[in-house]
Amino acid sequence: MFPAQYENLQIMSHAVIGFPSLEENEKAIAGLVDAGVHLIELQVPFSDPVADGHTLVNACYEALKHGGSVQATLDLAERVCARHPEVTFVLMSYLNPLYRYGLERLFTTAAAIGIKGMIIPDWPVEEIEPWLPKLDELGLSPILMVTPNTAPERVRRIAKASRGMIYVVSRMGVTGHETHWGEKFQNYIDRIRQHTDLPLAVGFGVRTPDDLKALAGKAEVAAFCSQYIEWQRDDGSEVAASKMKSIVQTMAAN
Amino acid sequence: MIRSDNGFFGEFGGRFVPEILLPALTELEDLFFGLRDDPAFWQEYLTLTQEFSGRPTPLTPLRRLSKQLGGAQIWLKREDLNHSGAHKINNVLGQGLLVQRMGKQRVIAETGAGQHGLATAIMAARLGLDATIYMGAEDIERQYSNVFWMRQLGSNVVGVTTGAQTLKEALDEALRDWAASVETTHYVLGTACGPAPFPELVSYFQSVISAEIKEQAMRQMGRLPDEIVACVGGGSNAMGAFAAFLEDPEVKLVGIEAGGLSLEDGQHSIRLSQNTGETGIAQGYKTLFLQNDDGQLGDTHSIAAGLDYVGVSPILAHLSQQGRVIPDSATDAEVTAAFSLLMKTEGIIPALESAHGLAGGFKRAQQMTPEQNLVINLSGRGDKDIFTVARAFPQPEWAGFLQREADRSAAIMQQQGEL
Repeated sequence: MFPAQYENLQIMSHAVIGFPSLEENEKAIAGLVDAGVHLIELQVPFSDPVADGHTLVNACYEALKHGGSVQATLDLAERVCARHPEVTFVLMSYLNPLYRYGLERLFTTAAAIGIKGMIIPDWPVEEIEPWLPKLDELGLSPILMVTPNTAPERVRRIAKASRGMIYVVSRMGVTGHETHWGEKFQNYIDRIRQHTDLPLAVGFGVRTPDDLKALAGKAEVAAFCSQYIEWQRDDGSEVAASKMKSIVQTMAAN
Repeated sequence: MIRSDNGFFGEFGGRFVPEILLPALTELEDLFFGLRDDPAFWQEYLTLTQEFSGRPTPLTPLRRLSKQLGGAQIWLKREDLNHSGAHKINNVLGQGLLVQRMGKQRVIAETGAGQHGLATAIMAARLGLDATIYMGAEDIERQYSNVFWMRQLGSNVVGVTTGAQTLKEALDEALRDWAASVETTHYVLGTACGPAPFPELVSYFQSVISAEIKEQAMRQMGRLPDEIVACVGGGSNAMGAFAAFLEDPEVKLVGIEAGGLSLEDGQHSIRLSQNTGETGIAQGYKTLFLQNDDGQLGDTHSIAAGLDYVGVSPILAHLSQQGRVIPDSATDAEVTAAFSLLMKTEGIIPALESAHGLAGGFKRAQQMTPEQNLVINLSGRGDKDIFTVARAFPQPEWAGFLQREADRSAAIMQQQGEL
């Protein structure tokens, strides 16, 4: 399940389906679960991922070469949801692959498999709102994004349409670069909290134990994604999992 | 006048962007909506295009070629005579006026053939702005002369090495830059695509082309033309050539897409005319995209880098669906033949993009009568295509010259290294 408001910080990590291969994905996810990660995004690879930095862009291209697709993601999701019932799996995708699959069919299938939420960066709140009754009925949570430049009126609207968590984009830009967690960031978090009781998942630029230390007490979830994918790319999934384990342990000790 | 319904044209268009880009798009839209019906703003724009780019561009009758083909009288709208050598400068000058009003100091752009990048580099130099131009690494190889000039003009040209390394990837990369820089940077989108308000905004500035055609036709032909033909990549020159005639049903509007090598996947850029494009949502908007069953955008091919694009203007997708715009296509081989025919018969060197319009237009003119008039929008000139054309019409002396020039450049570099 999604964390409760003000629960201790936990990590959400990531799999790009088909990267480095479909077989490896399943092992890598088991490794993350073993490392103590209980929130995992399953990303459908896309040819034109405009909100992602180069790490995830390249992972998407590799994934597409190795059989990554909406169907492959759903197939894998069905297996990992059954195998790891203690883990909350979130579908992450750009809109077009889901749109081509058929949105209603996708939502129904995803919910039936056991996927709990969805992050779709190029699906604006206006387009999501008409789907909310259906999504609520299915118990599938749309996790919408807010950014530092989102106007207060719009934060309110996004917060109202979000379920499960709100994804707080930590800074301007795309995934995979550093972020500074100063007073300005705290003010930003405070601003979002005025509009919601949902837990906050902070993403973009969460790369080190220091980042996690800085986020403890500020947010409920830290999306630790690009750095993990870089470990997977450079050192393989097993080493990536052991690095993740030490990150989780350091976090628990703090 | 082109008016969207809240960003949509029928089922196409919209604004499907990461949340971070939304404030800049609404700021731009508010500014544009406040200006577009103001005659003083349009006049300011016309004066700028006159002073800086030599507008109005002529409407040139092709007397010899029309007689030779034996059909309609063919006319060329001479966008090739713009400063920078293509219609792209119209939109860029217009957006320059908006940038000045917003007070932003940096611009970014995507470019395929390099004409939009070149126009943006020119505008940035003139207004004293920083400019970064994103261009697919493949397109950089194809259109190096434009890259050379963009850099000489002071722009930073960034080669994009993801995917097929063409226009689609350049657009993705420009959007990524914008996500980080949106508060200080304006994205000068080059075609009538992308998230609202760009399709409408770019078409507005390009509509100067058809406004002039209309006036010139009345003067030179004594009536409206029977057909207007334009090549279609993203669709900005076509929208420019069609806009003023949308309410004149007697004027047929024909868009020519890149037929490339064949109809096989990845060998062409036809989205409208063969039912090859499927409705999708990507790069910030909904339109007909070349894509697979999984919704992954496809690879494209055209001899003309500027038509090598996977999506198409949502306005054209809508007009084509409504039957108002007739889509057709021309293959690489037909295009080089038309290119050569225009040069040898009329003494005009067209861009390879525009030569698609020629190929399609010549074919249609032959089915018409000498009393009829057909206008082809010659969107750009062919100087930039010298290397591509040299490959299509190989000459031994050209290869020899390139070798000697390469040796000379290497010698200069070596001398500089020794100093």
